[in-house]
Amino acid sequence: MSTEHLERRVVISGVGQSRIGRRLEASGFQLTLDAVAAAVADAGLGIDDIDGLAMFPGGGVANVPGYGGAGLYEVQDALGITTRWREGRVEGLSLPFYGAAQAVASGEARHAVVYRTVKEGSAARAAGGRPAYGSTKAEAEGPLAWLLPVGALSPVCQVAPYATRYMHEYGATREQLAWIPLVERAHAARNPDAVYTEPLTLDDYLGARMISTPMCLYDCDVPADGSTAIVVSAVETAPDLRAPVRVESMAGVIDGRPSWDQWEDMGRVGYATADAMWARTDLGPGDVDVAQLYDGFTIEVVWWLEALGFCATGEAGPFVEGGARIALGGALPLNTWGGQLSGGRLHAAFGHTAEAVRQLRGEAGERQVPDAEVAVVTNVGGYEAGAALLTRW
Amino acid sequence: MGPGEALGEVDATVGIPPAVTEETEAVWSAAREGRLLAERCRSCGAAWFPPRGMCRSCHSRSTEAFEVTGRGRVYSFTVNHQRWLPGLAVPFALVLVEFPAHPGVRVFGRLRGCAPEATRIDMEVEVGFQPGPGGFAIPSFVACAEEAGP
Repeated sequence: MSTEHLERRVVISGVGQSRIGRRLEASGFQLTLDAVAAAVADAGLGIDDIDGLAMFPGGGVANVPGYGGAGLYEVQDALGITTRWREGRVEGLSLPFYGAAQAVASGEARHAVVYRTVKEGSAARAAGGRPAYGSTKAEAEGPLAWLLPVGALSPVCQVAPYATRYMHEYGATREQLAWIPLVERAHAARNPDAVYTEPLTLDDYLGARMISTPMCLYDCDVPADGSTAIVVSAVETAPDLRAPVRVESMAGVIDGRPSWDQWEDMGRVGYATADAMWARTDLGPGDVDVAQLYDGFTIEVVWWLEALGFCATGEAGPFVEGGARIALGGALPLNTWGGQLSGGRLHAAFGHTAEAVRQLRGEAGERQVPDAEVAVVTNVGGYEAGAALLTRW
Repeated sequence: MGPGEALGEVDATVGIPPAVTEETEAVWSAAREGRLLAERCRSCGAAWFPPRGMCRSCHSRSTEAFEVTGRGRVYSFTVNHQRWLPGLAVPFALVLVEFPAHPGVRVFGRLRGCAPEATRIDMEVEVGFQPGPGGFAIPSFVACAEEAGP
């Protein structure tokens, strides 16, 4: 019965990116148009074929400078297209292409584009440092009302207690978890679009300044400028597409309290989403050839390695130590584009999804995983968790 | 350490104040009086924070505010070193505190009474507040003396 799942009725047909960098002179709007045009061409389609359009996150005032890229209506106007489906998804809801997949699977749209544009690199430079989350607003609303006023002014401070608790419960060390950013940096050296490519050593990591304990500078992703667009198409259009990739399964389940401070068990994150993803496929962890796991922070990779069953709960430290398992050539190559830690904070798994598609097509250049057939992509974790399995056409 | 400040205490008035809602107004008002309010169910006794007006356990709408008393225990923490806003005083410890007498209640706040680097999981703390952004009083727990060490 698994063939009935809606995600089997869609493919990811195109991924496209603008230039990516610490600071680009182009506006977010122009970067968005670059990415959308590239994604549509990558799919083998024309812009006039696009009939669904989604921005992420949705409209309204962004929570940090440089966080929102381009408005939906202005982008549609620039493209000169007719849309039958539009969406501005609330930040954090699973993986951003789910809405497009649902719209295409239901027949509302045939070829839908979803884009994410950031100019956080420029904004951080302008502010003299990475600005407080929520600093664009006069007051902290919703769950942020219990985070920002006490001084948890960044997602770093909000997620750091998860790392503290995890290390307390399972005995993982910074020396072990350092291999996640170290390996990702080595992968970034093979990605000409990555923000940071120079080698990073364990001594560099251990000597780096603390941001919010136990997370140091290299445990935090890199604010960047850039835009990524993803095209989701109906599976029956495959003959018209250049190189589609299948969506084998996708899920986003919130099983804990939906606020960073209230999540009950901070040592275990993402399990309900991972379990739901596996329940929609006959594949298992041993079938995954390459993992694009969300890495806003190092600890988020830990969550997904364990929740998805690549290692047992509490075993991620030994699993990543030394880097061999998660490096190119290892059993589970991780974030082969450098991840957000070195490739740049393209956010919401847009960079991760683009890389998964490239790997499954054999278009990942010097960082290609040979014969990659199955890729896993995840987003954030906790109450913003999403996980999807993509497979070669 | 400034005049009148406890060990580990730094100014907390630079920041972003909360948007106060009909559900949370009583919490912020009580905070100004040095009292920590949470919510509990009159039907089944479950407790939680912040107030929602519905029992998270049995879904009863018969809920009430109550004052959290007694010592709390640190579930987890972080010591923030980054100056996220101009003028933000650092470093400071942020603690997630649970209360053995009130299962289900967890409150995020600052920690005083010990050096930030002395913060530990499971250490005991007393409820407290300090001046925060926008004239609000924010939770600022106080490390119990025997926990603070020499």
